[in-house]
Amino acid sequence: MGEVELSCRAYVKMYLHACLFPRCSINGLLLSSSSAGGAVCVTDCVPLLHSHLPLAPITQLALTQVDVWCSQTQQRIVGYYQANACVSDSSPTPCALKIADKIAEQFDSAVLLMLDGSKMSPDYRVPPIVMYERKDSRWTLKDKHMIMLRQWEETRAIAGQMMESGDHMQLVDFDTHLDDITKDWTNQKLNTKIAELASPANGNI
Amino acid sequence: MASVSEMYDVGWEEMRDKLRKWREDNFRNSEQIVDVGEELISEHGSKLGDDIWIIYEQVMIAALDCSRDDLALTCLQELRKQFPDSHRVKRLSGMRLEALERYDEANKHYDAILQEDPTNTAARKRKISILKAQGKSTEAIRELNEYLEQFVGDQEAWHELSELYINEHDYGKAAFCLEELMMTNPHNHLYCEQYAEVKYTQGGLENLELSRKYFAQALRLNNRNMRALFGLYMSASHIAASPKVSAKVKKDNMKYASWAASQINRAYKSLKRFVKHLCVTNAINYIHFSNRI
Repeated sequence: MGEVELSCRAYVKMYLHACLFPRCSINGLLLSSSSAGGAVCVTDCVPLLHSHLPLAPITQLALTQVDVWCSQTQQRIVGYYQANACVSDSSPTPCALKIADKIAEQFDSAVLLMLDGSKMSPDYRVPPIVMYERKDSRWTLKDKHMIMLRQWEETRAIAGQMMESGDHMQLVDFDTHLDDITKDWTNQKLNTKIAELASPANGNI
Repeated sequence: MASVSEMYDVGWEEMRDKLRKWREDNFRNSEQIVDVGEELISEHGSKLGDDIWIIYEQVMIAALDCSRDDLALTCLQELRKQFPDSHRVKRLSGMRLEALERYDEANKHYDAILQEDPTNTAARKRKISILKAQGKSTEAIRELNEYLEQFVGDQEAWHELSELYINEHDYGKAAFCLEELMMTNPHNHLYCEQYAEVKYTQGGLENLELSRKYFAQALRLNNRNMRALFGLYMSASHIAASPKVSAKVKKDNMKYASWAASQINRAYKSLKRFVKHLCVTNAINYIHFSNRI
């Protein structure tokens, strides 16, 4: 399978999502605004839930809503991420596999990304992610060398900085949106802040 | 760094009252509790009277939640000095060991409490929490079931059990727990709505109809529950789309779905910033993902 690139914006929002709900399992969708073919560029993510991940109604609703938004904004759903509440276990749960399967039905090169909570402390220099791809109807570990995070040090710094300054409190996931529909699950404000913090030289973040 | 009282322009009494409110409502806003509590204790400890002990306990637990072992230990030591033989304080010692992931030692603490007092529910629940933290869901479920046989009125335990079952995809048993909760809390819209979600997830026509009924009930109890509103829309749409229902049932459910859709659209239209993607336009959008996940 091909390369997968993870953008700063996608990584930072996933990271902040996990930081906002450290005691819960969280999940979300990975999006791409690039055309199909070649490497999969994950350019954005939508944080979904922090409670009752295996229950169907809200997940279905969120998938539909995000899908509609994607079709209006020239993006597509290319993957799924999850972080388990239990830090010692970062393996995909049955519900993660189910949702990832659903996504793979619409997009062959879909990815399943698990955040490894045990590697999220500041002293860890490597991205705390484990990625899976679909091979022969099973989700298998992706070769690490096929996963790219451009400007990793900068991305890491931005994520850390935003967490320190409490920006994760501004992150809105779909659950939060349902509690208060005035909140924006596309997180435009955070996107802007991330873009501002990213170095001006790097136009493609 | 500015103090809490400076930043929010509050006096110590307000800080104390806020802590009490969070205690009573059982909020887990640990970072806030640590900020307010730490300042309250260090700057105004002498004014708190006997309240200080319960505040030490509250702040200690919040400190553990934020990995502030320094603060947790300080609070614990004060409590130990004041209440040397207390089981309640011993439980806090156990919790600190849990936070440090020293589970075997923590279990010893709780076993010692239970040795002296077999009815100590707090110690039993901590032991179950340890199983959960270690990822031993099956054991946690078994222990919690045994606990509930004895302490059948413990709402918190029933809810915890429903969560454990949901994570194990045992929706039938999760539903049972939620039924217990709904019986004892008939006005709680959240339990109704969670029950409806579980039924919906179980799938099948009968469960869908139940789910629709309970989403509707949740709405009756709280007409601003958006999950219930969306749930009503989705369950009614599914039933209407099923080839197994009579024409009447189909018609009724289409009515419910369309009512729910109009309520949803109204809610979103009233937002200052009307965002197209948030609108539920018609069932076709939704049938796209209609296969049960």
